[in-house]
Amino acid sequence: MKLAFTLAWRNLIGAGLRTWLNVIVLSFTFVIIIWLKGILSGWDQQAKNDMKDWEIAGGQWWHDAYDPFDPLSLESSHAVVPLDSIFTHQSNAVVPALMVQASIFPNGRMQQAILKGIPPHQTLLNLPSALLDTTVNGIPVVIGQTMAKNMGLSVGDLFTLRWRDRFGSFDAAEAEVVGVFYTNVPAVDQGLVYLDLAQLQRMTMFHNEATILSFHEGFFPENQAVGWKSKTVKELTKQVDEMIKTKSAGQSVMYLVLLFLAMLAIFDTQVLSIFRRQREIGTYIALGYTRPQVVGLFTLEGSMHAVLAAIAGAFYGIPFLWWQARVGWTLPMDSSEFGMAMAPTLYPVYSIGLIASTVLLVLLTTTVVSYFPSRKIAKMNPTEALRGKLQ
Amino acid sequence: MFFFSAELSAQNASEILLKVDRNLSSDNRVFESSMTISGKRNSRTISSKTYAVGNNKSFTEYLSPASEKGTKMLKLEKQLWLYSPGSDRTIQLSGHMLRQSVMGSDLSYEDMMDDRKLSEIYDAQVVGEEMIGDRKTILLELTARLADVAYHSQRIWVDAERFVPLKQELFAKGGKLLKRIEMADVVKVQNRWFPLTMTYKDMLKQGDGTVFKLSNIEFDQAIPEYIFTKAALKK
Amino acid sequence: MIRFLFKGLWRDKSRSRLPIIVVATGVTLTIFLHAYIVGFMGDTIEMNARFNAGHVKVMTKAFEAASHQLPIDLALGNVSQLLTELQRDFPQMEWSSRIQFGGLADVPDENGETKAQGPFIGMAMNLTGDDSRDIERLQIASALTQGKLPANQTEVLMSDHFARALGLKPGDSFTMMTSSANASMRMQNFTVSGTLIFGAELLDRGSVLMDIGAAQQLLEMEDATAEILGFFKNGYFDSKAADLLVMQFNSKHDDPEDDFSPVMKSLRAQGSMGQYVEMAEKWSWYVSFVFILAMSLVLWNAGLLGGLRRYGEVGLRLAIGEEKKHIYFTLLLESVLIGLAGTFVGTLFGLLFAWMLQTWGIDISGMMQGASLMFPSVIKARITPTDFYLGFFPGILSTLIGTALSGIGIFKWQTASLFKELEV
Repeated sequence: MKLAFTLAWRNLIGAGLRTWLNVIVLSFTFVIIIWLKGILSGWDQQAKNDMKDWEIAGGQWWHDAYDPFDPLSLESSHAVVPLDSIFTHQSNAVVPALMVQASIFPNGRMQQAILKGIPPHQTLLNLPSALLDTTVNGIPVVIGQTMAKNMGLSVGDLFTLRWRDRFGSFDAAEAEVVGVFYTNVPAVDQGLVYLDLAQLQRMTMFHNEATILSFHEGFFPENQAVGWKSKTVKELTKQVDEMIKTKSAGQSVMYLVLLFLAMLAIFDTQVLSIFRRQREIGTYIALGYTRPQVVGLFTLEGSMHAVLAAIAGAFYGIPFLWWQARVGWTLPMDSSEFGMAMAPTLYPVYSIGLIASTVLLVLLTTTVVSYFPSRKIAKMNPTEALRGKLQ
Repeated sequence: MFFFSAELSAQNASEILLKVDRNLSSDNRVFESSMTISGKRNSRTISSKTYAVGNNKSFTEYLSPASEKGTKMLKLEKQLWLYSPGSDRTIQLSGHMLRQSVMGSDLSYEDMMDDRKLSEIYDAQVVGEEMIGDRKTILLELTARLADVAYHSQRIWVDAERFVPLKQELFAKGGKLLKRIEMADVVKVQNRWFPLTMTYKDMLKQGDGTVFKLSNIEFDQAIPEYIFTKAALKK
Repeated sequence: MIRFLFKGLWRDKSRSRLPIIVVATGVTLTIFLHAYIVGFMGDTIEMNARFNAGHVKVMTKAFEAASHQLPIDLALGNVSQLLTELQRDFPQMEWSSRIQFGGLADVPDENGETKAQGPFIGMAMNLTGDDSRDIERLQIASALTQGKLPANQTEVLMSDHFARALGLKPGDSFTMMTSSANASMRMQNFTVSGTLIFGAELLDRGSVLMDIGAAQQLLEMEDATAEILGFFKNGYFDSKAADLLVMQFNSKHDDPEDDFSPVMKSLRAQGSMGQYVEMAEKWSWYVSFVFILAMSLVLWNAGLLGGLRRYGEVGLRLAIGEEKKHIYFTLLLESVLIGLAGTFVGTLFGLLFAWMLQTWGIDISGMMQGASLMFPSVIKARITPTDFYLGFFPGILSTLIGTALSGIGIFKWQTASLFKELEV
């Protein structure tokens, strides 16, 4: 076996430039597959992390009547927070949010918006809720960048809020924008005006009530409370999975073509080696190698291209992939138009599994492609081969 | 002395409010009206005929323009049904839909539905006297006694002789002015003074407001009971 | 001379066949992949274009300023005149009127009373007209899950989830209630002809696709529309051409006094699509570059291998006294012929495969839960003019370099050792 490796190695090195051309192409295959897949899994992770950081935390409870796609459902979707005292609002175990429909009047135009009350001192979600803990000329509110753009509002602007309390009485007050935040998660931006939960509860007289409870990962309750539906992170991020699936299907065509290209080179190389090295083959057989052993030798030689490629790929691939993971792949677009979480810069994530499966895939394909031309050896007449006569 | 006069003014105020209600509310009325809504590009007028009994039954049929003709609206207690001849369907509006504006006006369906008597909802207090045009008015401040009212407080300028409001301002709980209604063309109909023109203005919104004009108002008519049934919508 | 070489190649299949096959395969892959990447990267752009951005979009200035509120009262008027003008001035484009609006869908029970209700977003486009390209453009047929396409203006398509929530099946009727551009309350009955999946939850929750004519009538928007989307007839966004179009249109129509005068915007100028277009262009280029590089290396290698195959022959030719330079030169010329033939065949096949992929696409619906409008289950390629000449770089150049390098060996051969090497 060791001899076979030594022979294969010598033959490859002896072929010089030809081997290296094959190796370079194969190494491209490695690096590009790992990179593209890395970007996708980075996107997947990032989209989910962003959603966790901004919106869903470690899972949520929704009031039974709450439907995120029907703002009109908000009227009836709130109830007293059904939690034990261990979930104090100040700790980050749970962040309750009350959502109420309202009209806002930026610059005299009436617009519908959702008032979302959150505890100012929460740190479970990235929302800059701490800014709400201030005194200004109106009710302090923070809004997302898209909302600010759509409504023509910026920090320091005053606008009128009009809402109804629990009995349907109108109430209105001035609000002042104390912060505009940027997020990759459009669901926490569009159409929402954030204010202090306690204040919203006072304004609407929905004392201690909430629409959504976002839990810290470690505190997500296993049991459900009556009147609330439990939503795990997996359920809440389903759409990300769907999108990644579509994208990865699209990408796989690229791997296949690249792999095919590399295999073309290997195949060509193998066909030529076997054609040119008949005397060598004859000699092996004369020395007592069985034909399958000779086939194995040539197959090994072919598949060693992949091993060399993995090593060569590592030389420039590791710095490149590492650099990519640090700098990311900037996607200069506004994710809000797609309605799903998407960061402007995607940082590829390479898992051991990803790298191992790619190496295995390329190695196996190379071996198979190396094997096919070598089968011809089995049909050779050793004496003729030894004489170097073309068969 | 101070307390006594406050007491007196409250008494006067509630009396004034009762007199206002006597003018405005009736057991039964039939009227035609036109609503002029000023939009961004044009303004348009919608006319309708309404039959109403008490505070909780009303039936409105739209007469013009052609696109609205035949559309009917039935209100019974807290429920509202709409009928359109084009679809031949009766649709019940509930909850949030009632908060939509009626035909693009500054009034919501809910605004139109809540016509409880002022004296049933509000406590009144006289706060002054003012001239509106050439009429002397008493300015009342109304504060809701009940929780389930749309407007927590109102200021209402009541004609000192005729006991008809000439101007009304509706406030949010926090005290912010939400709507202003101005009345004009006060006429005497069957022993009541009644304003035939009302201009509604949503104070938070830009725009010219909605002008509501009544014509042919008649009180205490014999309205057949079947008008207030869903079957009548399809007629 | 070329003729002599050509005959040689033609008659000695071993000399020509494998190298040509290799070059042709490589070129095929290069072109196919380039077309694929352009299609794949452009997919998001085209998806946005088809749904809401168009390649260019015409709307009123007032509408544009408030477009996120779907303000149909600020719509374009005199649309037929405007459309005629657009068609005349820009014959390279197709135009599609669109209206989006909100409303309430109400389902009757047997007595005509409300059984179920739900808010919806209505999207109106040309679904039933003879000149309708929207069905094809949005690949609506493939996203259908039940029923069929609308046959007339009283039929609409509904998102599958919404139809189920309302208890509607194809053939069932419901009433749309909405407020018109004049803010009147409008109620009209429609029949669900089919249901479909959009692939974006917001739209799947409650969307109705209807014909523009029906929407104009419902919303009292006779000869009016919210937006007119323009699409290049070849189906793909061309940023420069779009900019030119926008300039021509706006210089003619701009009226700073009139809030309701039409303005045209290129896809690039809508939201951040411009940045995305740039990115897609850049990345198509990068990825193609890497592939062409890889391809060149493979073909280079093929050139080297080709040289080795001719080892014996070259030795013989040297032995019979042919000049080294001449041999080298003929080898190079041969490789050009092989490269040309391979590139030619490869380009043909590459274009053929790309065309097939552009026309039919790869159906990946097996990998997904089902087809949807926003995430088409079919991945398509896109042939651009580049694809017609792209193959020549790797095809000829690499073969030539490969041969040139391997042929250098000829000059090192000593005539004395020739016969020893050959041992025929």
